[in-house]
Amino acid sequence: MAPRVVVLSLASDFGCQVQLSNMTDEILDVLGLIDLSYWQLASSGHMPDAYDVAIVEGAVTTDEHVALLESVRATAGVVIAIGACANTGGIPGLANLLDLDERYGVVYGDGDGPRVAAGRRAPMPLDSVIAVDYHVPGCPIDPPEFLRVLSRVLLGLKNRVPDLTMCASCKINETVCFFDRGELCLGLVTRAGCGARCPSLNRPCTGCRGIAPDANLVAARAISIASGRPEGALDDALRIYNTAKEVRG
Amino acid sequence: MFFRVIPKREIPDLVRGLAHEFEVVGPVAKGESFVFAPLTDPSELRLDYDTTLLPAKQWFFPASETLMRFRVADNAVVDDSVDVTPRVLFGLHPCDVNSLLLMDNVFLGDDPDPYYKARRDNTLIVGLSCMPTDTCFCDAWGTDETHWGFDIFLSEIGDDYYASIRSVKGAEVVDRYVTGREVTEEDTAAFQARTASFKAAFASDIDTSQLPVLLDAKYDSGIWAELGDLCLSCGACSMVCPTCHCFDVHDELEADQTHGTRVRTWDSCMFRDFAEVAHGNFREVRAARVRYRYYHKQWGYLSRFERVLCVGCGRCTRACKAHIDPPRVVRALQTGVVDR
Amino acid sequence: MSVQKQGLATAVNPYRPHPARITSIIDLTPMEKLFELRLIDDEAREAFSFESGQFVELSIFGVGEAPISISSAPSKQGFIELCVRNSGDVTGALHRKQCGDIVGLRGPFGRGFPFAEMKGHDILLVAGGLGIAPLKSLINHIHDDRHDFGKVTILYGSRTPSEILFRQQFDMWQHRDDFDLILTVDKPDETWTGETGLVTKLFDQIDVDPASTYGAICGPPVMYKYVIAEMRKKAMDVDRIYVSFERRMKCGIGKCGHCGVGHQYACIDGPVFNFWEAMNLQEAI
Repeated sequence: MAPRVVVLSLASDFGCQVQLSNMTDEILDVLGLIDLSYWQLASSGHMPDAYDVAIVEGAVTTDEHVALLESVRATAGVVIAIGACANTGGIPGLANLLDLDERYGVVYGDGDGPRVAAGRRAPMPLDSVIAVDYHVPGCPIDPPEFLRVLSRVLLGLKNRVPDLTMCASCKINETVCFFDRGELCLGLVTRAGCGARCPSLNRPCTGCRGIAPDANLVAARAISIASGRPEGALDDALRIYNTAKEVRG
Repeated sequence: MFFRVIPKREIPDLVRGLAHEFEVVGPVAKGESFVFAPLTDPSELRLDYDTTLLPAKQWFFPASETLMRFRVADNAVVDDSVDVTPRVLFGLHPCDVNSLLLMDNVFLGDDPDPYYKARRDNTLIVGLSCMPTDTCFCDAWGTDETHWGFDIFLSEIGDDYYASIRSVKGAEVVDRYVTGREVTEEDTAAFQARTASFKAAFASDIDTSQLPVLLDAKYDSGIWAELGDLCLSCGACSMVCPTCHCFDVHDELEADQTHGTRVRTWDSCMFRDFAEVAHGNFREVRAARVRYRYYHKQWGYLSRFERVLCVGCGRCTRACKAHIDPPRVVRALQTGVVDR
Repeated sequence: MSVQKQGLATAVNPYRPHPARITSIIDLTPMEKLFELRLIDDEAREAFSFESGQFVELSIFGVGEAPISISSAPSKQGFIELCVRNSGDVTGALHRKQCGDIVGLRGPFGRGFPFAEMKGHDILLVAGGLGIAPLKSLINHIHDDRHDFGKVTILYGSRTPSEILFRQQFDMWQHRDDFDLILTVDKPDETWTGETGLVTKLFDQIDVDPASTYGAICGPPVMYKYVIAEMRKKAMDVDRIYVSFERRMKCGIGKCGHCGVGHQYACIDGPVFNFWEAMNLQEAI
């Protein structure tokens, strides 16, 4: 029987769900393999009580998110985190750099802020709350990579995200290295798997896939400094997508 | 081998002629760098290039290639044919010609690799003389000259090329597409003078003595930990290396999951999972991985084929952001100190 | 200029697996199953011959390939047996297969135990855990040729009694006098009446004639050093002690680089090495 799948979103811009809807060539094939019970972006109904696979986008930013995730984990056999927000905390994770109570005051008005913002939490990736079985990183996700992961889910194979950095992909693309052009590029420490797409489009890597588990940050910092960047430049640049992960340790 | 003198101005004729029969791939500009790419016009050819970002191996052993298409239901191969385009690689420097000979030992020796072989059999090699750049060290391994592995080799002598012709096909295309002329004694003298100035231009001074012994005797040396601390484990060195032949194989399913392809991609012993097995990882730490790369190139390969697996092209020197390259590693092995 | 498509005949494509049918599946433990496989193509099946210690690449399209050593004896033709632990994607997918399903096989690959050279001698086999898988092939081969060998001793260590592989057969063999078989477990349960502790402890109980004994060892990487030390204490020759290594053999034909051990490749130079060779290999023991 086809697995019952739900797609839901926490704090995010729904960009990854839009990417799913962009899979025009493959979506009919995929829909033939799964029973899509609920898709937050496209469904008008409610989440069903029972399902097998939960595809979750977005960062955890409220107590409600935590409760939802706990119920998802208790229901679904398989949880897939898609996108930077769900995998590293992503851009929402930048809020970890702020004094949140003070920000609530600025946004919602002095005195009243903390009360209005009750239940808000510092943005975090999914795996800070529940165990995640499969990961599709990136901002936004790459549909072919999503399909490869879905295929592994359907076959019962293990989660496999590359733990190497981006540079090898750039070499294969014959992209002239940004460091050789005097620019900082986070591909040096960022998880591979996107084919180094941004550098091949003439933009340095911004680290949306998260820091590669096998990255050598110490060496990368030294290289950044040796290339004329100020101390701390590499870590500052990494913050866009990796603040929550860093804060968490 | 026989020889012809081909005036430089006839090279566009040769390229245009070859293009009737072959896809012509040669060095073209990419930003400040060069790449080997199919030519659409002879004017794109940059025979003054220093080196290319990727070596020529991609034309025989692509970074990613489909080995076979399969059907899941009965685990059957439905297609394992290989697409072969008759091709000329135009303008390979001696290091790159030599690198193909080293790759041949792996891919054309015992249990020949049919994918590599099909491309090799359908590719003409036109070699080209060069002058050393500050990243070249082919002289250290004796790969600054090549005497086989090409169909035609063009050595620059003034306004002409001194063409060494090695194969029947090479002779055919020279006869067909260029006028040229017979070689004179003066031409050979010019060729010798050109070779002498080439040899004199090398600045590298790598002491390659006794590397296999040193690799074993200094296996536990602290230099490996030092180099490991510097290494980004990014694998850039392996990707740009004309002699790195390691690969990974994985299956990719088509969207409907009924068929798929078995795909081979370049791999690197710098990657953490390269030597991982169910019981653990034989090279978990970076130091062990850096060491293995050199151990294999300067000793493992040599123990089988009596050559080191490096041609001194200097591509890794340019690609490695951590400045780990054979000259530095060999110096560290000789002196026991990693220079800063 | 045009693109030509060249067909590659199966015989010349070493990467193309031969289809094989699963003809029997036996549950050995909760983690390991014994699969009997028969190549479907008559010609390929008849051409398939191997040595104990060699391995095949087991292929499940959509999942990948994994190197598995052959457990059946070369003296048994027409099929092979693979003792497989469910530990990765390919082995997991194999465990989910049913009798009658088709998988792919490439091989056999590598260098096995020197059976012909071992003939006429005493044999001491030492296995730890799943390391019994390749040694089982050698044991069965010796069994089928028993009169050609002297004394045959088998020491086999498992973590717990329930993890002992081929338990039924070994229980029967405990009573045979042509094989000296000693089983030991690290963690006994209430039913266990045999030896406990590491396999190296069993060396006190055996007599070895160093002039005429060949050793064969297979087990987890940590085991080799200690077992070899015991064999050396018994004065066995370095070049008569054979070890089989687990590495990540991927292509099986010395090209992909994954199974490098020191300056050699496990897939073509091994996976069986004698101790003298292994001592000269970095990363080996």
